[in-house]
Amino acid sequence: MDGEISKQRSEGKISSQPLNPQNTRNLIDSVDAFLFDCDGVIWKGDSLIDGVPETLEKLRSMGKKLVFVTNNSRKSRKQYAKKFNSLGISVSEDEIFSSSYAAAMYLKVNDFPKEKKVYVIGEEGISEELALAGFTSLGGTEDGKKTIDLRPNFLVEHDKSVGAVVVGLDQYINYYKLQYGTLCIRENPGCLFIATNRDAVGHMTNLQEWPGAGCMVAAICGSTQKEPIVVGKPSTFLMEFLLQKFNIPTSRMCMVGDRLDTDILFGQNAGCRTLLVLSGVTSFSSLRDPSNNIQPEYYTSTVSDIIRT
Amino acid sequence: MLASKLSALAVSSSSSSNLFLNPQNRVNLSKKLPFITNPSLYNSLRPIVELNFRKNTSSRKMNASASSRIVSPRASAEQLKDPDQLIDSVETFIFDCDGVIWKGDKLIDGVPETLDLLRAKGKRLVFVTNNSTKSRKQYGKKFETLGLNVSEEEIFASSFAAAAYLKSIDFPKDKKVYVVGEDGILKELELAGIQYLGGPGDGEKKIELKPGFLMEHDKDVGAVVVGFDRHFNYYKVQYATLCIRENPGCLFIATNRDAVTHLTDAQEWAGGGSMVGAVFGSTQREPLVVGKPSTFMMDYLADKFNITKSQICMVGDRLDTDILFGQNGGCKTLLVLSGVTSLSKLQSPDNAIQPDFYTNKISDFLSLKAATV
Repeated sequence: MDGEISKQRSEGKISSQPLNPQNTRNLIDSVDAFLFDCDGVIWKGDSLIDGVPETLEKLRSMGKKLVFVTNNSRKSRKQYAKKFNSLGISVSEDEIFSSSYAAAMYLKVNDFPKEKKVYVIGEEGISEELALAGFTSLGGTEDGKKTIDLRPNFLVEHDKSVGAVVVGLDQYINYYKLQYGTLCIRENPGCLFIATNRDAVGHMTNLQEWPGAGCMVAAICGSTQKEPIVVGKPSTFLMEFLLQKFNIPTSRMCMVGDRLDTDILFGQNAGCRTLLVLSGVTSFSSLRDPSNNIQPEYYTSTVSDIIRT
Repeated sequence: MLASKLSALAVSSSSSSNLFLNPQNRVNLSKKLPFITNPSLYNSLRPIVELNFRKNTSSRKMNASASSRIVSPRASAEQLKDPDQLIDSVETFIFDCDGVIWKGDKLIDGVPETLDLLRAKGKRLVFVTNNSTKSRKQYGKKFETLGLNVSEEEIFASSFAAAAYLKSIDFPKDKKVYVVGEDGILKELELAGIQYLGGPGDGEKKIELKPGFLMEHDKDVGAVVVGFDRHFNYYKVQYATLCIRENPGCLFIATNRDAVTHLTDAQEWAGGGSMVGAVFGSTQREPLVVGKPSTFMMDYLADKFNITKSQICMVGDRLDTDILFGQNGGCKTLLVLSGVTSLSKLQSPDNAIQPDFYTNKISDFLSLKAATV
C-alpha cells in the first residue's frame, strides 16, 4: 500500500468504500494478519458482539494471524486473555497488546532505572504490567480512597524518587491523585508524563459511552501545562512489538477498529490496510461528516461481515 | 451578524460536536438576541489563548545591546519606582486576591494600610479572583475576618461570573445547570435564581462499570459549569459529559483554567484547569471561560461602574491570568512578586507576558521611593 495513498486517506481525499464480496476477498487474500481493536469491535462492555467467535475462527482456519490491540488500560494482557476465554474465545496472552502493556514496555525499552518509582493514575492493568516488567509503582486503585483536607499548613507529601507518572482510564479518579501526579511532574526533575491513550469516551459498558483516559490525561495536562508521551493508538509504539513478533510487513496487516482518531489513524500511520466497523463509537454520519478527515480504506457494519460478504 | 459573532466564540481544534457553533442546531435559549445591547460582553468570552511569542525572545535579548534594535511586541516590565505617578494616572485598582492580598488564610504585610491609602486618594477598589470555591458574600466575610474594609459589591469571584454570564444571556428559567465545582458556584446560581444539580453532594456518588448499568442524566440541563472541585470524581465527569454531548445546545462554561493555585500557604495545588481539562478531554469541546484572562469580568464591571478601561490598573501575581486579563482589557498592569511569580520567572526568556510594572508587594505604594527588589 503506497504511503501516498495512505496520506491521501488520512487527509480525507479518497473516500472510504463499503465492503462487498469482491473487495473483501481481495482484502483477505492480501493480508496475513488482522489487528482487532476490542471495545466496539469484539465486545461492548462485557457483551460479545454477534458473530465474532465464528469470524475469528474462520480467519484462523484460513491461516491468518490474529492480534488484539486495545487502548483500554484497565486490564493487563493476562486479564484480557481471561476475559476472552470467559466469552468463549480462545486467545493467548501474547496475541494481546494493551496500552497497559505499552506503558510498561515504554519504560523498559527506554531503560527506566529500577531504583525510580512510577506513580499510577489508573487501574489494575497498569500496576500489574509494571510489576511484571520489574518496576515499583505507587498510586493506582488504592489511592482512590485517599482524601485531602485543605486546612492551613496541610501538605501532600510526594515521593521524590518517582521518575514517571503513567495516566490511563481511572474510574476511581479523585483530587488526591490529581494533586500527587501534578506534584511529581512539576517538582521531580526529569519526571516523565506518560499517557496510555487519549480516547475521549468509550463503551466501558454495553449501554452507553463513558469518559476515557483522554479525560484523566487532559486533567493532568491542565494542572501541569505539559503534553504527555502517548504509548497507545494512534501512536505506533506498539507496532514495534508486533513487527518483532511476526515477520510480516505492515502492508500485509489490516487494522480493524471502530474509532477514526485512534484505530484507523494508527493503521494509516503504520502503513496498514484499514477497516472501520460501525458497531462501536463511530456512526456512518460521523464517517461522512465534512469535518472528518480520516478515511479508512473500507467500512462495514460489523466484524462478521468479513466472512459473510 | 449574530452567526459570525457565534462562530468567533470558540477557538476549537476538535472536529466533533459543532452543536454549539451551529446556530441552526442551537436550541433557542434566549427570547431576545442576547448581545445586541452588549456585544462586548459576548466577545470577551472568547477563550483567550496565551500568546506565543517565543520567536521574539531573541529580539528582546538584542534590545539590551543598543546597536540593532528590533521592536518586540511589548517592552520589558519596569520596576515600579514612582508609585504616586501610577496611582494618580488611574481611577480604579483591580486586585487579584491569592498572592496579592492574602496567601491561604494569612494576610500579606501592609495590605490594610495600602487599601486605606488608595481609598483616601479617592480610588475605586475592586477585587477579582478566579477562585470559585466561595461566593461574593463568603469572600466578603473572609475580608472582614482579616480586618479589611471591603464590601460584597466590590468583589468579583469567578463563581459570580458564571452566574452573571448565564443571567446576561437570559438562561431560561426552566433549564438547569449541572455543577462540577464547590459551594461558591451553587450559592451564586441560587442568588441569580438559576436551578442547579450536582456540586459537592455528587462527590459521594459512585458508579459501577458493569453490564446493564446505565447512568441517567437530566435532559433539562442547559449548561454545565466547571470549576475547582476537591470532590472531583468519575460520576461527575460522566454526568457533565452526557449533558454536553447529548442535550442539544448545552453550554460548557469554565470558571477558570488556572493550572495550580495556592489553596493553602504550604504548597501549590492542582487548580480549576485540571477539572476543566478533564471535561474538555472527554467532550473534545472548548469551554467558555468566564474568569481571567477572559475579559468577561472586566467588561462586566466596567459596564456596571461606568469605568473607562484605560483608567484601570490591574494588580496581580500571575502572568497568564491576571496580567493577560489586564492587557486584554487595555488596562495598566502591575505584577507583584508576593505570590506565584518570581523575578526570574518574569525575566525568563520563556516568558512572553510583560506587565507595565512590577514590584515586591502592594504595600510598596506606601513608600515614597521604590523598594529594592
